[in-house]
Amino acid sequence: MNKVIKIENGTKQGVLNFLEHLITTDKISGVLTLRKINEKGICDYGFISDAKELKFADPFAPVMPINAAQTLSSLTPTTKPIAAIIKPCELRGFVERVKRVQGSMKNVLLISYTCGGVLPLNTFQGDGSEKIIADYYNAISKGETPGSIRPTCKACEYFVPMMADITIPLLGNSESESECSLIMNSEFAIQISKEFQCEIITSELDSKIIDKVLAVRISEKEKLYNKTKVTKDGLDELVNIFGKCVGCHGCSRVCPICYCVMCDFESHNFDYNIEIFETELEQKGALRLPPDTVFFQIGRLAHMSFSCVGCGQCEDVCPANIPVATIFKKVGEATAGLFDYIPGKDLEEAIPVMIFKEEEFEEIGK
Amino acid sequence: MTKKGVKISLEKGLQNQIRDFFKKGLEKGVFDAVILPVRVPGKDSYAWILMNNAKLIDQANPVPPVMPVQGAKALKALTRKGNGIINVATIMRSCEIRAAIELSKLNQVNLEKITLVSYDCPGAVPMKGYNRIPEEMEKSFQNALAGKDFANDKMKEVCGICVDFANSPADLHFGFAGMENDGILFSNSDKGTAILDTLKMKCSEDDSQWKNSVNIIKEQKSKNRIEVYKSIQPEVEGLDNLQTTFAKCIGCHNCQSVCPICYCRQCYFDSSASKQTADYLQDKAKNRGGIGFPRDKIMFQVGRMAHMSLSCVSCGQCMDACPVDIPVAKIFSYVAAKTQDTFEYHAGTTADGAVPLKVYKQDELNKIHELIKNAEPQGSQHE
Amino acid sequence: MEKEFIPRITSFVCKWCTYTGADLAGTSRLQYPTSIILLKVLCSSRIDPVFLIKSYLKGADGVLIGGCHPGDCHYETGNYHTRRRFKILTEIFSTLGLPKERLRLSWISASEGPKFAQVSNEFTDKIENLGPNNARENMFL
Ligand code: SF4
Ligand code: SF4
Ligand code: SF4
Ligand code: SF4
Ligand code: FES
Repeated sequence: MNKVIKIENGTKQGVLNFLEHLITTDKISGVLTLRKINEKGICDYGFISDAKELKFADPFAPVMPINAAQTLSSLTPTTKPIAAIIKPCELRGFVERVKRVQGSMKNVLLISYTCGGVLPLNTFQGDGSEKIIADYYNAISKGETPGSIRPTCKACEYFVPMMADITIPLLGNSESESECSLIMNSEFAIQISKEFQCEIITSELDSKIIDKVLAVRISEKEKLYNKTKVTKDGLDELVNIFGKCVGCHGCSRVCPICYCVMCDFESHNFDYNIEIFETELEQKGALRLPPDTVFFQIGRLAHMSFSCVGCGQCEDVCPANIPVATIFKKVGEATAGLFDYIPGKDLEEAIPVMIFKEEEFEEIGK
Repeated sequence: MTKKGVKISLEKGLQNQIRDFFKKGLEKGVFDAVILPVRVPGKDSYAWILMNNAKLIDQANPVPPVMPVQGAKALKALTRKGNGIINVATIMRSCEIRAAIELSKLNQVNLEKITLVSYDCPGAVPMKGYNRIPEEMEKSFQNALAGKDFANDKMKEVCGICVDFANSPADLHFGFAGMENDGILFSNSDKGTAILDTLKMKCSEDDSQWKNSVNIIKEQKSKNRIEVYKSIQPEVEGLDNLQTTFAKCIGCHNCQSVCPICYCRQCYFDSSASKQTADYLQDKAKNRGGIGFPRDKIMFQVGRMAHMSLSCVSCGQCMDACPVDIPVAKIFSYVAAKTQDTFEYHAGTTADGAVPLKVYKQDELNKIHELIKNAEPQGSQHE
Repeated sequence: MEKEFIPRITSFVCKWCTYTGADLAGTSRLQYPTSIILLKVLCSSRIDPVFLIKSYLKGADGVLIGGCHPGDCHYETGNYHTRRRFKILTEIFSTLGLPKERLRLSWISASEGPKFAQVSNEFTDKIENLGPNNARENMFL
């Protein structure tokens, strides 16, 4: 059981009231939140310092213009507290980044919510999205899985935030139009909200709803994995899937985990002298230009799959419609699973490649 | 000035003619290898394949419906580093050839051992459309090609306004626009002429019929171009409009990474040099009430224009790769037309000469002097 | 007649243990197959999994890593990290249905000439049974 702030207002309005209080009483210097930037309803992430600007905030908008983990990296470390209201996978992405010293959680009030998933960028920002968005809110208030969300969202088991200072029940919350509860998970949250005038009760997330959603998500995941023939089909299937990759590397640029300013696969390391192509041509008779299409994918998997949070951002930006996130999520589950690791679950848990146990795995491939 | 070219029968189809040409070239040792588009096993795209085996040429589709990777990028991957010993020939769309020419002027492609071949380009189908319904798109493209249809609406928008569809400094060019059963293969360079000589291909055909047809098509496309530029102008003129147009931009920089001209290994706008500190960002938010992410959307777009628009070949790749469907290529094409006109430069259309930013004349751009003078406050110390 | 299949096994071995072990196998005239192509690295932990992927995709029939026994690494803990990274890579291979049997990690000390010969022979036999790596022919990679 946790301390819970109860606000007699819709969930969105209640959160905004709370944030307004934090800003106007100078508890935080600003809040990172999704916000509407024009009348067409297009959203970006805004770091808002003036309480008046909160009227543009749309913290629960089902869209991910960028994975906020990247944004939080650029806003931290900070000496003055800030708040961020982000989705659970963004939070996990941020935790993974902090483990890689790409930001700091200190002085960041992390607010998250039980997440109904996000719509693909083009659905959210495209024409006629109002109805889809309305249907979305309707479905999630009933704890259903909207058909319009990203494939990896449908298959996401971690829709309950981990490592959040404050959790907001949104998914399956039929009262979200009329009331707002903020579940306090940390001492930091309790301290910073001390002066906020409100009713305080003790409560927790409704486990019945969580279990119900979880069951659906798990079965959706199986379906998704079966549909995308990523597994067991070998090199030929990999070529079938990635054959159309245009090598833009957009997938790695938008990935919250891929933090390198200069990706190894774009570096001089993999930029070949013409002699290398000539030798290979001699041996093989035919080769692809530019090279390394499948190599980039397996290489990226080797570098980061165990930290993939399955956010789906890579798949959404892929101009070739390759189910990148599905594949990365699936492989990531397997590689992280070797170490019972759940990316972004706990800041104290080291990234598997940074530690080892003396007694584990014998000689491999014997 | 009329030119003479080789008469080509199109009875077997253009694709086969081109295949035969490359096979012959390989057999006669005119080149050691060729780079041709081959449909990928998934059947939903094409890949550039460097091959030295004449038999493989049958698998290639020299004129593919799509341009998944701009051809100049394939040439850059091959020739940027080191000195090759093999002679390689390739056939590409006009914008790919022009991009390769620009890259060679920028020392990113070495064309010394490369033979560039081109053709009258009917346009390219957008990648996203092709991915979804490849067979359908394949058909409409082959029909457009066979029907010599240069105004097909299935093609990328920038293809509809491309006045250089049959104009590039490729060593050799397959022309067929407006011709009945025949086409014409002609040379634009000494390299090209030498190849035709070695292959004993006789230049007896006059190119005037072809040229006339090309000019007619070109005129129509010029008109479309003016219209499209007119329609794009209000979307980008003034900061407010620019901001509205790029509101959706998520800062993925796909547009830059697929651009053949943007050759920097590390784009300035991705580098640490362009990143701001947490303190700076928070101060800025304090002053303005709030700041948006991704940062510097307009800075990136306008900055990229400043860096590369003089060489933009209007290939449309940027627009094809944009995940939020911003008409990037139309905008860049519009801006590039203006910056290139300033120097009477037309990117990639001539094989020699330098890119405008590498050279200067002492007496030029006098209008700018006037602008500066007018902008200066009265009584300024600088004359 | 079919050409006889002589596997090519790219072998990354650490300078301090396995390479010395291989050297010992040579000087003690122990037979080990010519399929083993040795690449000397300072420590097995220097081997980015990406090298192994590259070897496989470029057509190596087998990829072998050799390092000091756990606890004996010249840089103390290098090979523990190698072991985790290698395990991750084999997991990626098996999840994607790629032939993880073509990957092999072994600990061979400077004095274990015979073990080097034995591992090389065993692995070569295994690769011979698997046949050539079909990545070598694929032009779309
Ligand atoms: S975003 Fe898609 S096309 Fe671009 S590199 Fe990634 S998989 Fe390839
Ligand atoms: S690999 Fe894709 S799904 Fe996984 S964290 Fe990165 S962007 Fe998200
Ligand atoms: S800016 Fe766009 S249209 Fe211009 S060359 Fe680059 S990719 Fe092509
Ligand atoms: S591709 Fe589109 S979304 Fe990405 S940076 Fe360019 S304009 Fe922005
Ligand atoms: S030195 Fe041999 S494994 Fe590290």
